[in-house]
Amino acid sequence: MTSEPYKIWICLGCGFLYDERLGCPEEGIAPGTRWADVPDTWCCFDCGTPKARFEMVEIPYAPHQPEASQAARPGF
Amino acid sequence: MQGAFTLRAGERGYSKLASTGPTSSYVAGHPNAAITRHSSFNFNDYQSGRAGFGRVRVFGDEVFSGSGCGYNMHAHHDFVICAFVLDGQLTHINTVGNIDQLSRNDYYVFSAGSGGKHSELNLRGEDMNAIYIWFLPQQLYLPPSYHRSHFDAQAGRNRLVTLVGDAAGALPIPQDVRVSRFVADAPVAQTYRLISPRHGVYAFVIDGAVKFDGTSLGRRDSAAVWGVDSVAYEAAGDADVLFVETVM
Repeated sequence: MTSEPYKIWICLGCGFLYDERLGCPEEGIAPGTRWADVPDTWCCFDCGTPKARFEMVEIPYAPHQPEASQAARPGF
Repeated sequence: MQGAFTLRAGERGYSKLASTGPTSSYVAGHPNAAITRHSSFNFNDYQSGRAGFGRVRVFGDEVFSGSGCGYNMHAHHDFVICAFVLDGQLTHINTVGNIDQLSRNDYYVFSAGSGGKHSELNLRGEDMNAIYIWFLPQQLYLPPSYHRSHFDAQAGRNRLVTLVGDAAGALPIPQDVRVSRFVADAPVAQTYRLISPRHGVYAFVIDGAVKFDGTSLGRRDSAAVWGVDSVAYEAAGDADVLFVETVM
């Protein structure tokens, strides 16, 4: 286990977020999967932009997020 | 920290997206429509220059040519996308619930927030030219929003008019940024005062010529300065400049 805080990466093609805490279950990437452990061949779930063109961001979520968005996406 | 750069028109990234072939599902229009895009900052494959400036990630000078040309409906999150129409007519459709038609000097602020789709189309025969700017937001997954307005170039001439940001009459934006426009038809020398020395300002010459921080800039040239209280700029005559101020 690591105590390193989870980080968030944003797709520079469309803004899709990869939050390490949430992973991307739609694509078989389990919650808690670190960015470094996401395959280099992985592309944005929404727009297909390659992993290399994501940027790590330190921006807080708006109130009630990301839970509200997750609730709106069954299986997420 | 203080800094500056100059980016000449010809040094920008360039791409052309056709409505046929590999980009046919993304680019609208038929049969021979195409989007041309000059990028000041990182935009997809362009990265010989700067990845961004403060909270700006995209600054695209785009032309939609050919009937029905534009971007088909596609998804975004979080980026705050602004469009400033310079020529022609832009039809903007979004999942906030807007179908909008924007003409010369109209502009919008579309915050994709927790998720939204939009389509950008030129439904007319003549070219549509717009400046697209993308900002990172202050908070992730904000409620999506759309606002639009018009810049009155005649009433606003020979002074700086703030179009977006924290100023009277400007459109709101969920980020510590400001977009202003300066249109001159006479010799004018002014000082741009930054919100704070933690901010920077990027000046893009839409048309004409200006001297910005001592550097002469022509059509579609641009320059930025940061870490200062103010910047001097002057026009000898006709000039049309977009200023983008952002926290660094």
